[in-house]
Amino acid sequence: MGTIKDRYAIVGVGESERSRKSGTTPLHLALDAANAAIKDAGLKVTDIDGFMNYNEGDSCTSHQLATYLGVRPKYVKDIQGGGASTEMLIADAVALIEAGQLNTVLIYRSMNGSSGTRVGRGYDPDMLQGALAGGSFVIPYGSASPSQWFGMYATRHMHETGITKEHLGHVCLSFYEHAQRNPKAFLHGKPLTMENYLATPDISSPFNIHDSCLELDEGNAIIVTSAEKAKDCKSKPVYIMGMAARQCHPHAHYWNDIDQVASDYVAEELYENAGVTPDDIDVASIYDCFSWVVMRQLEAYGFAKRGEVGDFVAEGNLKIGGKLPTNTAGGMLSEGYTHGMNNTIEIVRQLRHDYEGTDRQVEECKIGICTGWAGPDIAGAMILRN
Amino acid sequence: MTQAKTAYQKPIPLKDLDNAPYWDAADQHQLALQKCDDCMAYSQPPGPTCAKCGSENVIWQQLGDDIKATVYSYVVSYRPFLPGFQDELPTIIALAQLDKVPEVKIMGNILNCEEKDLKIGMPIQMTWVDITEDRALPQWIPAMN
Repeated sequence: MGTIKDRYAIVGVGESERSRKSGTTPLHLALDAANAAIKDAGLKVTDIDGFMNYNEGDSCTSHQLATYLGVRPKYVKDIQGGGASTEMLIADAVALIEAGQLNTVLIYRSMNGSSGTRVGRGYDPDMLQGALAGGSFVIPYGSASPSQWFGMYATRHMHETGITKEHLGHVCLSFYEHAQRNPKAFLHGKPLTMENYLATPDISSPFNIHDSCLELDEGNAIIVTSAEKAKDCKSKPVYIMGMAARQCHPHAHYWNDIDQVASDYVAEELYENAGVTPDDIDVASIYDCFSWVVMRQLEAYGFAKRGEVGDFVAEGNLKIGGKLPTNTAGGMLSEGYTHGMNNTIEIVRQLRHDYEGTDRQVEECKIGICTGWAGPDIAGAMILRN
Repeated sequence: MTQAKTAYQKPIPLKDLDNAPYWDAADQHQLALQKCDDCMAYSQPPGPTCAKCGSENVIWQQLGDDIKATVYSYVVSYRPFLPGFQDELPTIIALAQLDKVPEVKIMGNILNCEEKDLKIGMPIQMTWVDITEDRALPQWIPAMN
């Protein structure tokens, strides 16, 4: 199989309403998101022959979604997975299209992340001890939330690289500022100042509520097809230049070595596949379950050198108008939360110039990066162009 | 040490096929570490084979009960995420780097430690808390000089 560069495209994106309490099921949210994405692409539902989703046992199945869209697809697939799964499933979709098995694939993430299962509030302890690699060495000590798991990395990394709480604040302020330009952002109308940020007590150090992503009810969907079929779509195609869909930490019990993360392994392969360098990137969606996770990825993906990431964000480089406008709809810290897919939707819209003529558009952007983080242990990323 | 048989609400480490020797030693207030007899790498947490080279030739090394370490990293949690922690906030959770085996880091709470005194590099000492009649949990306390 040759290179896939520029031969596949994202041709449709869509979302359901987002709220604290949807009053409905993930299946209803998925139907809303899928219909919006199909309409965006100008496709018929019968054009979709593959449906895929990722979940944590908190969603509907792809087969249910296809059923209630009234179609019988060739292929359905549901995986257990966190925030690097969008990239991974896009790669799976591309591979299946490349192999001649499918034509057009709809990928979705739908969850009642606020009124249903909450990711950030801890889980059943015995289940977690079994589910996490080496969970028995973590759970008995009260560490059951991603904020505590990733915080262990953050404290050490901040100590070694000079990143301060105020630097984390600049990540939050940048994304909150973007949310003020996005009427659909959950925290639209709720701007954040550094004074307020620094006065907010931590939930689990080094993270306060602003450093932590939202938990919301929401469904998102995207549609992937070949560049050839993309010509028949109503939307402007956003081409996949390169991917490194999934990379791992050396140990499944990732606390074994908190000095490295899976993202460190992604960058080289990603830039090589796409044939670009970090300097070529105009706009970014960086997975932001926590503010520090953005900082660590900026280092991993080569946007700032280790030790200089704090200054990079303090200079306003993540804001629209900065060197690397990032999470321009507000990100998961302030727009919405679907395990990363809302950030993918945003970068597609930026690269299509959907916001042309407004203060939300990153002017003349051509190339974007979208990164996923399912934890320090699993990462994926892709580079897209218009 | 007082027993907390009925009162203990926190999760108790689940023993399994691969980690049982670690927890069995802990119940005796001892530290045991899994080690590869081929590449000599320590495996923490223990597993079915060596995580460094894949060898099945793993053995257990007894390190005794005088275990010194330094704080490699930590978090301080002000909200309980599991049962039993609600009455002991804030909770300090640390990753301890063993003095004798620096490549091994073991998570635990640091007991008898004020948050203001907590810092990376601070010397700590392993202790064991009897949590049920037959189980003990390795923990850490600030080292005495």
